Amino acid sequence: MMKWMKLAFRNILRNSRRSFVTIVAISVGFAAISLYYGYIHNVYNGLRYMAIHGEGLGNLRINKAGWQEKGKLEPEKYMFSLEETNKIMKLVGDEKGVKLATPQMQVTGIVTNGNVSTVFIAQAVVPRDDKIIQARWADFLPIKGQKLRDDIVYGAEMAKDLARYLDMAPGKDGVVMAPTISGQMNALDIQVNGVYDSGNDFSNDKFMRLNFYFAQSLLDTQSAERIVVLLDDWRDTQRMRSMLLKKIKAAGIDCEIRTWDELSLSFSKQKAFLDTMFMFLFSIVLVIVVMTTVNTMGMAILERTREIGTLRALGLKRRGVSLLFALEGAFLGFLGSLLGIVLHTCVWAIIRVYPPKYTPPGFSMSVSLFVDMVPVMLFLLLLSTVLLSLFSAIVPARRAARQNIVDALGHV
Amino acid sequence: MALIEMKNITKDYYLGETVVQALRGIDLQIDKKEFVAVWGPSGSGKTTLLNLIGAVDDPTSGELTIAGKNVRSLTDDQKSEHRNATIGFIFQGFNLVPVLSALENVMLPLQIKGASASEARKQAMMRLEEVGLTDLANNRPAKMSGGQQQRVSIARALVNNPSLVIADEPTANLDSRTAHMVIDIMRELNEKDEITFIFSTHDQRLLDKVRRLIRLEDGKIVNEDPGL
Repeated sequence: MMKWMKLAFRNILRNSRRSFVTIVAISVGFAAISLYYGYIHNVYNGLRYMAIHGEGLGNLRINKAGWQEKGKLEPEKYMFSLEETNKIMKLVGDEKGVKLATPQMQVTGIVTNGNVSTVFIAQAVVPRDDKIIQARWADFLPIKGQKLRDDIVYGAEMAKDLARYLDMAPGKDGVVMAPTISGQMNALDIQVNGVYDSGNDFSNDKFMRLNFYFAQSLLDTQSAERIVVLLDDWRDTQRMRSMLLKKIKAAGIDCEIRTWDELSLSFSKQKAFLDTMFMFLFSIVLVIVVMTTVNTMGMAILERTREIGTLRALGLKRRGVSLLFALEGAFLGFLGSLLGIVLHTCVWAIIRVYPPKYTPPGFSMSVSLFVDMVPVMLFLLLLSTVLLSLFSAIVPARRAARQNIVDALGHV
Repeated sequence: MALIEMKNITKDYYLGETVVQALRGIDLQIDKKEFVAVWGPSGSGKTTLLNLIGAVDDPTSGELTIAGKNVRSLTDDQKSEHRNATIGFIFQGFNLVPVLSALENVMLPLQIKGASASEARKQAMMRLEEVGLTDLANNRPAKMSGGQQQRVSIARALVNNPSLVIADEPTANLDSRTAHMVIDIMRELNEKDEITFIFSTHDQRLLDKVRRLIRLEDGKIVNEDPGL
C-alpha cells in the first residue's frame, strides 16, 4: 500500500498548480465549515448557559402532574403543598450530582406606581438560591441597584423597560396586584431593589422578579408551583430526570419533570435554525469538494490515459487503478483539510484577540462573536473530507480503470 | 509445446457502421527462445497482432493460447495476472511513469505482483545493471535520453523474468547508434535468458538481426522468412 501512496502523492505534485487550486478550494470549504461549527458551538454553550442560569430554568423543573395542562385553571390542585415541597426538596437534595433544589412560583398581575399601571409576569424565587442559579450570569448582565434579598421580602427586581414605563428606579415603591389562588384580588406594596436587563426585547417590558415568600403572601398560599433543580453537570440532565421521576413517584407524589431545553423556547428554536444553516453550508461545501475533486481527477485521468494503459499492460488490475486515483483524491482531501485547519486556527486566533460585536435577533444587547476550538470536530471533519474526496475520486477512477488498454496506450 | 499458438484468429474493429478487418484468419506458432519480427506496411495489422499476443486485446474469433493458457477464457483479473507473470512490454514511446525514478519504474511490475520493496529493488538493480544503467537508477525519465529510457523500459520488461517480451516498434524513436545498442541488448537477453522476443518494426537494422520474419499485409501473413 505504501508504494501506491507514494506514487499517488507524487502524482499530486505532478500538476502542482492544479493540485494547489484544488487544495485551496477544499481548505476554504473546510475552514468555512469548521469556523461556523466553532461559532455555533460557542452560541449553543452561551444559549444553554443563558437558559439554565440567565432565564433561571435550572436543569430540571418539577411540577405536579397535570400542571402544564390544567395548572392555570385549578392552581391549588396542581401546586405542591408545603409538605410535598419539603419532601421533594429533601428527596432531590440528597441525590448526588444535585447542586440545588429550590421552590419557585410564577405570578402574573398588574403593577402600578400609583399613576400608571401595566401587566407584569414575575418569577418568584428564593433569593439565596437564585444567586446560586444565576452564578456568573449576574456578572454578565449586572443589575442596577440591589439584587433580591432574603431579609427584604417585599423587595423586587424590575426589567428595564417595565421600570422605564412606570418611571421606577431602585428605592422607589409600587404596588402589585394579582388574584389569589382562590380567585380574589390581592394587592401588596413592593419596593424596587434593582433594575435589570433580561437580555431579551420581548421580556424587558413585562418581567419582574419577586421574593418567593412574598409571592406566597400575594397569592395567599403556602404551596409552590414548581421545584427547580440545578445539577453539577448539565450533561446529566436526561439521566437525572429519569432517576428523579422514579424516585419522586415512588415516594407517592405524582409529578412531571421537564428539562431546560424543553422549557427554553429560544434555545430550541435558535438551535434548530443554526443547525439548518450548518447543514445548508455543509451541503454547499460538500458540493464544492466533490465537484473540485471530480474535476481535478477527471483532468488527471485524461492527461494520464497512456500511463493507465501502461500500468494495466504491466499487470495492474482495474481495482489497482481505481485505488491509485482514489488515493490521490484522498490525499487532496487530506492536504486540503490540513490547510483548512491552519486557516481555521488563524481566523480563530484573530477573532479571539479582536472579537467582532453583533446583536443577535431578539437580544437587547450586543454580544461578542467567538469561535470555539473543537479538536474532535476538526478531526471528524478532516476524516469526512478525506473520505468524501476519496469517494469523489472513485467515480472518475472507475472510469479510468474500465478504459480499453489498447485505446489507452494509443491515447495522445 | 509452442509458447504461442494462434488458430484462425480474426480481429474486427467497428467504426460506426463500418467494419475494419484488422486480422483475417491468422495461423501462427511461436516457440520458446525465438527472436521474431513482425513487419509490413502501416495498417497491415502488426500492432493488432502484438496486442492480441500481449493479452491486452481480445480476438473477434479464433483460438489463442499463450504459455498453455487459452487467453479468451480468462477474466480481466486473470489476464492482468497473466500479463504480469508471463509477458514483458517494450513500447515505442517508452511509457515510463514520469514521477518515478528509473529504479522505481523497473520495480513496478514486481510491486504489482506483490513483491516486497527490498526484493523488488534487488531484482530491479540487477536488470538495470544488465542494461548498463546502474548510475542513473535514481534519475527520473525526464533527465534521461531516449536510448536510456528505452533501456529502462527493457529492464522493466524483463524484471519479472517473463517467458515472452513484446516490443512495438522499439527503435522507432531512437537514433541509429542507440537503436543498435538496444537491438544488441535484446539479442543478448534473448540468447542468455532464453526469453522469446516478438516485435513489430519497419527498421531494416532490426530486421537484419532477427531469426524469424513474419510479414503481414492487409491482416494476413503473406510471408515467413527464417531470418538469420
